[in-house]
Amino acid sequence: MAGNSSLYLRRRIANIMALLLSSLATLIGLFFLAWILWETLKQGISALSPSLFTKITAYGEDGGLANAMVGSLLINFIGIAIATPIGVLAGMWLAEYANRSKLGSAVRFLNDILLSAPSIVLGLFVYTIVVLPMKNLTDGAITFSGLAGGIALALIALPVVVRTTDEMLRLVPSTLREAALSLGVPQWKLTMQILVRSARSGIITGILLALARISGETAPLLFTAFGNNYMSFNPIDKMASLPQVIYQYANDPGEGLHAIAWAGAFVVTMFVLLLSLGSRLLFARSKVSND
Amino acid sequence: MSTPREHIIKSYDEELTRLTGEIVRMGELAVTQLEAAIDVIERRDERAAQRVVINDDAIDAMEQEISHDVVRLLALRAPIAGDLRNVFAALRIAADIERIGDYAANVAKRSIPLSMVAPVTPTRSLGHLAELAAAEVRTVLTAYRDRDAEAAYQVWKDDADLDDAYTALFRQLLTYMMEDPRNITPCTHLLFMAKNIERIGDHATNIAENVWFLVHGEPLTKQRVKRDLTSSPDMEPPV
Amino acid sequence: MTDPAFTPAPAAEAAMVHAGDGTPAPAKITVRDLNFFYNGFHALKGISMDIPEKKVTAIIGPSGCGKSTLLRIFNRIYNIYPKLEAKGEIVLDGENILDPKYSLNRLRSKVGMVFQKPVPFPMTIFENVAYGIRHHERLGKAEMENRVEQALRSAALWDEVKDKLKQNALGLSGGQQQRLCIARGIALKPEVLLLDEPTSALDPIATSRIEQLVEELKADFTIVIVTHNMQQAARCSDLTAFMYLGELIEFDRTEKIFTKPNKKQTEDYITGRFG
Repeated sequence: MAGNSSLYLRRRIANIMALLLSSLATLIGLFFLAWILWETLKQGISALSPSLFTKITAYGEDGGLANAMVGSLLINFIGIAIATPIGVLAGMWLAEYANRSKLGSAVRFLNDILLSAPSIVLGLFVYTIVVLPMKNLTDGAITFSGLAGGIALALIALPVVVRTTDEMLRLVPSTLREAALSLGVPQWKLTMQILVRSARSGIITGILLALARISGETAPLLFTAFGNNYMSFNPIDKMASLPQVIYQYANDPGEGLHAIAWAGAFVVTMFVLLLSLGSRLLFARSKVSND
Repeated sequence: MSTPREHIIKSYDEELTRLTGEIVRMGELAVTQLEAAIDVIERRDERAAQRVVINDDAIDAMEQEISHDVVRLLALRAPIAGDLRNVFAALRIAADIERIGDYAANVAKRSIPLSMVAPVTPTRSLGHLAELAAAEVRTVLTAYRDRDAEAAYQVWKDDADLDDAYTALFRQLLTYMMEDPRNITPCTHLLFMAKNIERIGDHATNIAENVWFLVHGEPLTKQRVKRDLTSSPDMEPPV
Repeated sequence: MTDPAFTPAPAAEAAMVHAGDGTPAPAKITVRDLNFFYNGFHALKGISMDIPEKKVTAIIGPSGCGKSTLLRIFNRIYNIYPKLEAKGEIVLDGENILDPKYSLNRLRSKVGMVFQKPVPFPMTIFENVAYGIRHHERLGKAEMENRVEQALRSAALWDEVKDKLKQNALGLSGGQQQRLCIARGIALKPEVLLLDEPTSALDPIATSRIEQLVEELKADFTIVIVTHNMQQAARCSDLTAFMYLGELIEFDRTEKIFTKPNKKQTEDYITGRFG
């Protein structure tokens, strides 16, 4: 009996140690997240005012980030609008038609490579295939553009959407497919009308996560959208974006712009945080109702 | 008695109802045989007696069929609890009814040699004994059909009356045989027939016990009062 | 000579299953020397059997014996998986359904299937039943409503859902969902209904309801049911097939199999001596 209780004691100690270590690790992670948020807020609080959202960057220290926010929204929208249909359809193809084939594995592998490609490389790529040709075609009238920026972001978002759509569709139990096929329903109808509806929340979550990812991308936008101190709604025109302006202002020798940069950073961080939380809530709620 | 609820699977109920119906029908046949046997004694009709004997085959065939149905029910439905007691009781009751049928046929068979000698007075009493037995069997079968344990218990107790009547008839026959040796042949036949009828009563009480078990799930453990004193040392020949 | 008033009841059924009027029930599906391979593995070996019309045929056997595999061949659902191959003949109404020229669409409108786990589509209850019909037939609104009601009534589900046809099917209980899947299958008015362990995910009351439903359905459909629960086969079916390691060991009337099977292997399995 004594042997048993010492074994038990050792186990309890090991349990407590593991619990302590993992809690500590969590706290460290949370600590840094909290610190970032705190620091961002602290540094940018002075610039957080309504003018941040109404004035444009042309006024420098007396201006705001209005055009950068609008630009970001537009470029992100273009990026997602391009990536979503292509990504979802590609994910469907992978999950339904190429699920176990060699071609399917090859495509998945390529998708993973695109997923981990450095964003600056993608930016340069879009510079070469979109910005330069447009410059040549229009004799320099159109060079950098919001559209090009959107295309670059689309290339970053695309593999995320493909991956999550593929995974979510594969999570749908195969008996659902068999049940539909047993009714004589063809594969395409089954996919579009039943499977997508089943995996709907998962796919939307994937899209939202892709959006969160591209919201913070800076490097590719430097060679594609370039930046614009004035408000622009025209995608063919150069366009400002929040990450790009933050980069610009942070490099400025003067202190005044720094606060605005921090404020911009805070806005971007909150946006990404809210998107992530929102997609999590959406996914969790739909999981419950499916059981 | 509360109405039992039906099984979700309706064919199961149909099969159980059919089984009960078969038992009741078989029992009715046996009672009819007994009454026919008594009728045959009174009429002294040899051909009719032969028919009663042959008709016993029908009762035997019914027992076979019930056995087959019970095996089928056990294999395909795997009955439990009340359903199991139901099926089990049916099997045992069928065996008892089959013996009742046999005894009735025996009585009919014996009526043939009885009819060949002159009639004697105690023959009337035999008829009365048989009526008692027939009533017992009828009542207990109704109790089975209605799943009425109390009625079955009543039959079980009332068999004592049949035993009393049998004991009385036994004494009466002994008296007759001692009075006149020419009575010995018919009275001996009557003795055997009376014994058969008394056995019918015993089987009826077996059926009653099975009905009790079917309803309550426990055997009827009270000691049955047996007032068949013919085998007891107190039985003295009347002087 | 026996008195006619005392004739005993008619003798027990003869060897083969009979249709209502006493003639032997015709075969709906005839399997001839079926061999099935997946990934090179010989899963079904030389199966031959006649499945009679409008009766319930049960297939039992230990795990891995091939009973589900055999069932799935009847509507060729294996087509969606690669590296599967079927040799031999399965004749339904005079045509070999294994022939590549036999339209899958037509096969699946004749042969419906219900699976082990209830899988309603993520739609309303009404839509679930109507979905399959829409694919095969063009019906007006009133006609469609009629068909859906008929199917739900036949599946003994109408009374429970008639007031909530527009609700999501996922809100139903397990037993109701399974009856919905059955309604979905019979809405297409197939001739054959395949049930693959339809009650193994359900509680006992729901199971009994489905079994009662199967008894009612066999008046209109030929039913083949795979079950790992032998008692269920004993309760529900008219014929039982016992399979082991891909072979058909014995196929006979259910009563015979469960009281006196011919093969020792069958007896050993059903009495729990192996498996």
